[in-house]
Amino acid sequence: MQGSSFRRSSIAGLPAGSGSALPALLLVGLFFIVPVVALLLRSVTDPEPGLQNYAALFGSGTYVRVFLNTFLVASVVTAVTIVVAFPVAWMLAIMPPALGSIVFGIIILSMWTNLLTRTYAWMVLLQRTGVINRALMALGIIHEPLPLINNLAGVTIGMVYIMLPFMILPLVGTLRAIDPMTLRAAALCGASPFEAFRRILLPLSLPGIAAGGLMVFVMSLGYFVTPALLGGTSNMMLAEMIAQTVQSLLNWGLGSAAAFVLLVVTMALYAIQLRLVGASRAGGGI
Amino acid sequence: MLLDYDRLGWLRVALVGFTAAVAAFLLLPVIFIVLLSFGSSHWLAFPPPGWTLKWYQQLLADPSWIDAALTSARIAAMAAILAVIIGLFASFSLVRGEFRGRQVLRGVLLTPMVLPVVVFAIAIYAFFLRIGLAGTTVGFVIAHTILALPFAITPITAVLEGFDKSIEDAAIVCGASPLQARLRITLPSIRIGIFSAAIFSFLASWDEVVVAIFMASPTLQTLPVKIWGSLRADLSPVVAAASSLLVGLTLCLMTVTALLRRKLSR
Repeated sequence: MQGSSFRRSSIAGLPAGSGSALPALLLVGLFFIVPVVALLLRSVTDPEPGLQNYAALFGSGTYVRVFLNTFLVASVVTAVTIVVAFPVAWMLAIMPPALGSIVFGIIILSMWTNLLTRTYAWMVLLQRTGVINRALMALGIIHEPLPLINNLAGVTIGMVYIMLPFMILPLVGTLRAIDPMTLRAAALCGASPFEAFRRILLPLSLPGIAAGGLMVFVMSLGYFVTPALLGGTSNMMLAEMIAQTVQSLLNWGLGSAAAFVLLVVTMALYAIQLRLVGASRAGGGI
Repeated sequence: MLLDYDRLGWLRVALVGFTAAVAAFLLLPVIFIVLLSFGSSHWLAFPPPGWTLKWYQQLLADPSWIDAALTSARIAAMAAILAVIIGLFASFSLVRGEFRGRQVLRGVLLTPMVLPVVVFAIAIYAFFLRIGLAGTTVGFVIAHTILALPFAITPITAVLEGFDKSIEDAAIVCGASPLQARLRITLPSIRIGIFSAAIFSFLASWDEVVVAIFMASPTLQTLPVKIWGSLRADLSPVVAAASSLLVGLTLCLMTVTALLRRKLSR
């Protein structure tokens, strides 16, 4: 980083500066890349060489439904998360720090709390005789308990709860980087608050929204724990199907093929997300 | 003026109200579980008909819960130590190395954070079945170290990028050996990054469920695997007690982090 004539001597212990990454590279290469590649090979060799696993995957209504449902859940979760996160991030970006730090504290507490603990809380809250149904009935809003668990509603509530911090925290950064002067100028030129929001604030925060939204979408696509506990059998998601195919059905070929599909989709979306983050960083300096 | 807190007018009331509602949404389930763990209803009725400590007594009297917690702590500690050491070395190379493919290397080392865990879980499970590491502590530690590594590398490289290397060079000019300069000048300066790395890698392993479900054996269970098993069976209040202790641990970690950060950044 700092150009100095001492660079060579100070890294003499670790030639060319690449050597010290060797342990990490070995570890990741041997116990991450090799197993993943071996798994992917298995999808075209188990039980016999050929593409029959992929044919089975895309030819069966059951599995196609799992794919569609996975995309549906991830899309709904992402949309709801963006809508809920944006106003919060907006306030956090401009709130007095004393007030903001309380909200930040709550976000971190929720984020650091054990994932199973949070999911367990929602299992209890959303069940037929749970607090939410009882409260709604006591208020006279409903007369029969709502089915809130083991369906799309349950997964969405639980997943939005988990994804919110991942959307709010980066968005705060994007919003803080926007120069308030641009909005002052808009107001001076006679723009109404709605107009200023639609034509200035929203477009300027779009790179952050897109990057965060894509991250939430990608994480949701491959999520296992929360959908498995809060979702129903009729709307199973891909990760749970992969685990079940391998663990209960011992069908490694089919499970590997499904894992490969998940990997390709995830990596492609991640590549797009990296671009967006780069773009939003460049745009953040306006 | 949409980015001026003092001049938002009526909009501020609406937005602050909404933010408070979301904060409540994030906080209430955590509080709810803690309250429930002291409730006397076996059926998790809320508000509880009475208060009791019996779920905690049951929890602490059950050796399988204690075993699971100790196993988790042991594995997480080993994975965190390995991830921080390996990650520290890798970070020096990622930040200061001058070689082609540095960005590719960073991408490769951070991939375990991006790839869906379930893919890695079945891949490493199949691999460990073949080489005889499935269901062993060593296997657990290796798998969790890989998942923790990105959480160690990210904070360390972030701090290292902000560290002025000419300070290290100055120490060398003044007669320190490169190793001495690194140990006595650079390491203390980036300790916030190393400390964050340790916390995050520990949590990455301690909270990890998916790989653990595959790796666990009847004799080797981590705490998340134990909770997962109980959740699939029934919603026993004992799980609420275990969960509340985990919430307490999170609060302790947050406090320690905040205190140490304040102390270290002074």
